[in-house]
Amino acid sequence: MRLIRNLIGFVLVVALALMVLFPAAWTLMGSFKHLKDIVTTEAKFIFTPTLENYATIFSSVDIYKGVVNSLIISGVATLLGVIFGLPAAYALSKFKTKRTPDIMFFILSLRFMPPVAIAIPWISVWLNLNLFDTRVAVIVTYLITSISTIAWMAVAAFDRVSPQIEEAAYVDGYGQYEIFWRVSLPVAFKSLLGAVAYAFVVVWNELMIGLILTSSRSTTLPVVAAGYTSMGKEIPWGVLNAATVILAIPPILVLGLIAQFMSSVFKHRGSGVKG
Amino acid sequence: MRNTSLPYVFLIPALIVLGILALVPTLGAINLSLQDRSLMFKDWDYVWFQNYLDLIKDSRFFNALWVSVKWEVVTVVGTMFIAVVGGVILYEKTFGKWRKILSLLLFIPVLLPKISAGYIWKFMLNPLMGIVNIMITSLGLPHVEFLSSPTYAIYSVAMVDIWQWGTFFAVIVLNLIETLPQSNMDCAKMECNNVLEVYGLVAIPMLRGPLVAITFVKMIESLRSFDLIYTMTNGGPGISTETVDLFAFVTGISVGGEVSYASAISVMMMIITVVLFTLLWKRASR
Repeated sequence: MRLIRNLIGFVLVVALALMVLFPAAWTLMGSFKHLKDIVTTEAKFIFTPTLENYATIFSSVDIYKGVVNSLIISGVATLLGVIFGLPAAYALSKFKTKRTPDIMFFILSLRFMPPVAIAIPWISVWLNLNLFDTRVAVIVTYLITSISTIAWMAVAAFDRVSPQIEEAAYVDGYGQYEIFWRVSLPVAFKSLLGAVAYAFVVVWNELMIGLILTSSRSTTLPVVAAGYTSMGKEIPWGVLNAATVILAIPPILVLGLIAQFMSSVFKHRGSGVKG
Repeated sequence: MRNTSLPYVFLIPALIVLGILALVPTLGAINLSLQDRSLMFKDWDYVWFQNYLDLIKDSRFFNALWVSVKWEVVTVVGTMFIAVVGGVILYEKTFGKWRKILSLLLFIPVLLPKISAGYIWKFMLNPLMGIVNIMITSLGLPHVEFLSSPTYAIYSVAMVDIWQWGTFFAVIVLNLIETLPQSNMDCAKMECNNVLEVYGLVAIPMLRGPLVAITFVKMIESLRSFDLIYTMTNGGPGISTETVDLFAFVTGISVGGEVSYASAISVMMMIITVVLFTLLWKRASR
């Protein structure tokens, strides 16, 4: 009986792991396959690998442009998100007033705004300013996402900096700004990094606003990748798989940071909500 | 704390920037929705509420609303189901180092760009060469038109969304169960007959608050259905997977160029979601 229960448990855990690993592995394999090994009615686990899909991608000017644009746009939008969002989060965490819940709700409510409702009106703004299809325009449009995401998540990180440490610093003669710079920021640094990495990933992954606000010069990587399905008559599955892999690299790189942060935030929020 | 300028200096710039960034598109969308602008013609004029009157007579709009509601319900319920079941399995059946490794792995899908997740599954769900159908037919069953059937397509795409978020929330639920006092869990195990009772009667009710909170988070995230649906079905077959945001996109940008009509659609969408979610938030945080 015990053996059977352990066996069932093992099967369930393996199923859970496979649910994630199999699609990822299958896509990775697909990215190294010749088209003839993909377009078959049997599953090929053994095949002659090829780099031609990646070669196609890296020889494409659009992809190169997409990578550069995406890195600059996500990078700058995140940086500005940090500059505006982190101090705001600190103030919201450490100086709670009657208005704090309303401000928090305002920040959260920006996440309800349909992206399409954000993007369409910006078209006419950027056209009027002669900035349509520029990186500046896309960055400014994404700021609403990056600032609100960072501010919202960083509050949880600052909440966990114990008031005693700050109190001690105050007694030592630190000013309020010094406490932020020299005590709270370093103490919360690791969780803050998680929040910032998450905001970067959110902007990096975004497709719709990029699709609407760029046409050729400033296309982000998701927009370029989205164009691949409509390329020619036959869908280039191998190239598509390779593009999928490349798109997923930055988010996977910061996986550890984000995972740690999320787990601790929800634990924290969890015990907070319960009360 | 103390008398200091810090909260103002730190908070006000962010609030001003966010306020502007929220107001520009909101006012812009309302303004556009009262006109008859189109990308094809230069001339335009104010038509006031004509777009809204057209909208409430547009059966395609109601189709899109219905698809959006289906999407919202299926993805939220599906995600929470996987989250709770997965969380319990992880807590009961994994230990130590393996639990850590698995938790990390289960975070991957949610961090993938939706367009990556969409391509991964579009490839696997392909009727002829997709691995899922190869497995189904090898069992002697007829192959399934996951994405080209008007009935199943929306659920197939929703399944991908659940794949992305369910495993992530399973880890979160695991973390939540870990925060429960061990004594409660032990005594629950002694008094209850089986695992189902331990969780159904003791652990899950204790976690009601945080579970409501993560359901709310998922409801907000489910509003961003566009990327996945655009990648996988682009609203098709027909308009069977066309959500409101996709409808607005198709009308205003990709096919129609009816910018003003699309703005009316997004304003309606904005009103519905803001009202609904504000009410929900007020209820949940009470």
